[in-house]
Amino acid sequence: MPDHHLPRSAFARRRRHRWAPPLAVLAGGLFGSGVRAAFTFSFPVASASFPWTTLVVNLAGSLFLGLYLARSQSSVLARWSLQFWAIGALGSFTTFSTFSFEVFSMVDTGTWTMAASYVLASTVGGLAAAVLGQRAGRLKR
Amino acid sequence: MTVLIAAVSGSMGALARYFVSGVVQRVGRSPMPIGTAAVNLSGALFLGLIAGAGVDLTRFWVATVGFLAGFTTFSTWMIETVRLGVLPKPSRVALLNLIVMPVSGVAFAALGYYLAS
Repeated sequence: MPDHHLPRSAFARRRRHRWAPPLAVLAGGLFGSGVRAAFTFSFPVASASFPWTTLVVNLAGSLFLGLYLARSQSSVLARWSLQFWAIGALGSFTTFSTFSFEVFSMVDTGTWTMAASYVLASTVGGLAAAVLGQRAGRLKR
Repeated sequence: MTVLIAAVSGSMGALARYFVSGVVQRVGRSPMPIGTAAVNLSGALFLGLIAGAGVDLTRFWVATVGFLAGFTTFSTWMIETVRLGVLPKPSRVALLNLIVMPVSGVAFAALGYYLAS
């Protein structure tokens, strides 16, 4: 039986929109990176002091991601929304490379107390923020 | 202008992260979030490398740091850790993901820094 007699499958539909997920990630990334850059450039932190802008961005991003994922639904439109918000915007709003390098700088200059408190605040705080966001998202609409 | 450069390069980083973490997760077929680990640790290595090379605070620097900030992600790491099970009692894999990542992230940043300087 030739192909064109087959009903339009979900696979064919997906193929037609192959460009959509990466485009949604790109658009979300533009938004998330823009907001983060605007925030971090507005509040410059001196190189040897506590990097609270990165901490705020990472904790806020974890909170919003928990909230978003608890609220999101599964449909085609929701998939694009997921790629825009969760992967693109909130994924690039937060940063792991800057976090790692900041901790390295603290260790390198011997400010161990600051390094330990920064790692602890980021990890425990990030988890708490994500769980809090999730809980808030599950409250009745 | 600086914000625009950071935003555009960050969106490129997000796109690269989408593909790289997807491929690593599919190929690796691990219950652990290795796709996110791959982008985060390689991003930390590259940031160490360019910082060690001593690039000035130029537009190139803004673009590179912006790209790597968008390429790596903190929020996804956190949510994936939550999904490995943290409440009421953290699971072993969740603790592993929570502890190994920052330690190896710093190690990769240090490696990049000393390799380049």
